[in-house]
Amino acid sequence: MESGLVALVLNSHLPFVRQPDYPRFLEERWLFESISETYLPLLRVFARLEADKVPWKISLALSPTLEAMLGDSLLRSRYVSWLSSQLELAEKEKARCSGNPVFAPLSEVYYELYRKNYEDFTVLYGGNILGALDFYYKKGRIDLMTSGATNAFMPIYRNYPEATTAQVEAAVVSFRAAFGRSPSGFWMPQLGWYPGVEETLSAYGLQYSVVSTRGALLGDPTPRQGSYAPVSCPNGFTTFIRDVAATDAVWSETKGYPADPAYRDFYRDIGFDLPLEYVGPYIEQNQIRTFTGFKYWAITGKGDQKIPYSPDAARGRVAEHAERFIRDRIGQATAAAAHMDGRPPLMVAPYDAELFGHWWFEGPQWIESIFRKAQGVDGLRFITLSEYRRSYPDNFESVPEYASWGDGGYGGVWMEKSNDWVYRHVFKMIERMIELAERFPNESGLRERVLNQAAREVLLAQASDWPFLLRAGKSGSFARKQIEDAVTNFNRIYEMLCANTVGTEWLTRLEKRNNIFPNINYRVFRRKR
Amino acid sequence: MTRRRDFSDDAPVNVERLNGLSIEALYALADKMGLDLPPALERVFVVEALLEAIEEDSAERKSAGDAAVHIEEKKYSGSELDEIDASIDAAPCIECRYNETVVQVIARDPEWAFVFWDVKDEDFDELHASDAYSHLFLRVIKEPGYDGKTSASFEVVVGDEDDHWYLHLPEEDRAYRVDLYAKIGAKARLLAHSPVIRTPRALMSDSLADLDPDAAELAALSGLASLKIVPAPEHHPSRILGAFDD
Repeated sequence: MESGLVALVLNSHLPFVRQPDYPRFLEERWLFESISETYLPLLRVFARLEADKVPWKISLALSPTLEAMLGDSLLRSRYVSWLSSQLELAEKEKARCSGNPVFAPLSEVYYELYRKNYEDFTVLYGGNILGALDFYYKKGRIDLMTSGATNAFMPIYRNYPEATTAQVEAAVVSFRAAFGRSPSGFWMPQLGWYPGVEETLSAYGLQYSVVSTRGALLGDPTPRQGSYAPVSCPNGFTTFIRDVAATDAVWSETKGYPADPAYRDFYRDIGFDLPLEYVGPYIEQNQIRTFTGFKYWAITGKGDQKIPYSPDAARGRVAEHAERFIRDRIGQATAAAAHMDGRPPLMVAPYDAELFGHWWFEGPQWIESIFRKAQGVDGLRFITLSEYRRSYPDNFESVPEYASWGDGGYGGVWMEKSNDWVYRHVFKMIERMIELAERFPNESGLRERVLNQAAREVLLAQASDWPFLLRAGKSGSFARKQIEDAVTNFNRIYEMLCANTVGTEWLTRLEKRNNIFPNINYRVFRRKR
Repeated sequence: MTRRRDFSDDAPVNVERLNGLSIEALYALADKMGLDLPPALERVFVVEALLEAIEEDSAERKSAGDAAVHIEEKKYSGSELDEIDASIDAAPCIECRYNETVVQVIARDPEWAFVFWDVKDEDFDELHASDAYSHLFLRVIKEPGYDGKTSASFEVVVGDEDDHWYLHLPEEDRAYRVDLYAKIGAKARLLAHSPVIRTPRALMSDSLADLDPDAAELAALSGLASLKIVPAPEHHPSRILGAFDD
């Protein structure tokens, strides 16, 4: 009998950062870096596992904003330009490091990374990463899930069912457009669950989600199998429960695997270390230092003294950490199995996908390694969430409590002094959008376009990324501007509709700029009775 | 145009970088960080105070809370400065208010709620036209039992210039609403009321003693101890009831 099951869940998300009005935009790099360091390397991992017939299974939540950006032709072409620039820098680095026995091989590593990325993106996938994911989705290797339309922290909007429904509907519609079928799984952004949201999710045919351990154990009644089995809400919606030990193994900044001294240091980067004259063309506006992705040092330990990064040494640690992960899960499963009702304990390990490769450079290797090492290991098997749900449809009935995976376990990250001003505006937008949808329920033509754009702006303003960034002190001005732009655009539309005048030229420009959710239906904001 | 220079956690902040800022920018940064520096301070002291504050802030952030969001920040890293928007037009300045009389409340966690409100100019002028007008206050009402008159509640006086507040709500797993009132003489005039919210549970709905031994063991193996959600034996609800009128 199996002693344990592991569900590796990757949450892929980036906020909508497309900025067509500017020839080059710093925040678009978030997407380019994620494609280069996470998505393409992961696809190579999947291809290798597939080629070697290693049984691998991943549940992968793809946020609609990321989905839209990966499918966007402008961003695809900008990514190729950015890649070309990275390749140019890689060549310069090879020349600069030539003859240095330590750094020359490392410069080759980066050259190879960007060369392979260029080849894979432009030739192998023809720019279509969604298509590559769909390939594995259809094969049953990846269980694709959707997520909140703009990563809204849903509990904050629970008193506006129109807004939470819009987050779900826009996501499901986008998913169908991208993959030709309806999603079954829904990733709650920030694991922000609240009782009652299951009704909205079920109404769209969604069947399961993941909640924090806190939310689950605070559920009513208390789950009888801890986090080792999902619970079912009374309406049949399944909530899987994050496993604390499995996630901490990676998430913990100090004790997690990625903190190992042999791994590549994230912070030391030639964008900060080398003269401006040299890195200028590859940083912002030739003068504002940014990460370039070229990093030559190992984490080493505390302090500024770093030792050069050794891919071989790191590879050894990857193998050890993969073994440890498997061993610890078996140990955990064995301990839990003695108290289960006969079914194997499930350990759900959700992580942000972008941290594999981007922050934890060796992360994709580790994922590959855990699947290889689990192969042939008695008593442990990887499983997707949907597969588990099919195998074990009957679960203990309980409704998880409002909680999240943020600091403190609730909504404090997205609601504190740096970002709470946002909600006065977003709430007002929602109320006005409901009013508009009620006043104009059957519009067509230009007025329908206007109303749909208004709905887009409401969704964009709801993104939890902006409050998150305001709190983190990162790209704060950018985050603020995204909110202010959405509020301003929406209010302008509201006033136009109240005055019965529509600026067609302005609307068309706005539709082109914020081109996300092309199939949105503003009527989703009609009052829920 | 670079409008405001803040620092990210990723890029190390050092004396050189702070020295690259004007004294006005340094003061602005100090202000944003909540430092109350004397005016016309020598540059070196401003820089020193900032470095100290940044270090403290960073340590606080790192030591507090769940790792997930700290690590999530890494995917947004990228620049020397917090914001680089030389090519962006100035952000539109949105109105801070909508000139309406309203109060809203959002449950943040089991103990705290964020409340924001506004009084439209017309109402405000009318209030101030009355000699008997004293102040605005929030009445926090515990549901159920809300009848608009004598239900369990407590009041918080707020200033005319205030428009938001974090309210400590005394009980987890309870429904509340917040009314905005004006105190006029001996009377209180209701200006607006919020929707009902519910504070989430902070403690498990079942005590460990209620669980069978297997369930209790599985809860423990799920990391229950680290969550601090098990009702302590000494926990007594009387600590919170005192805050209410009833």
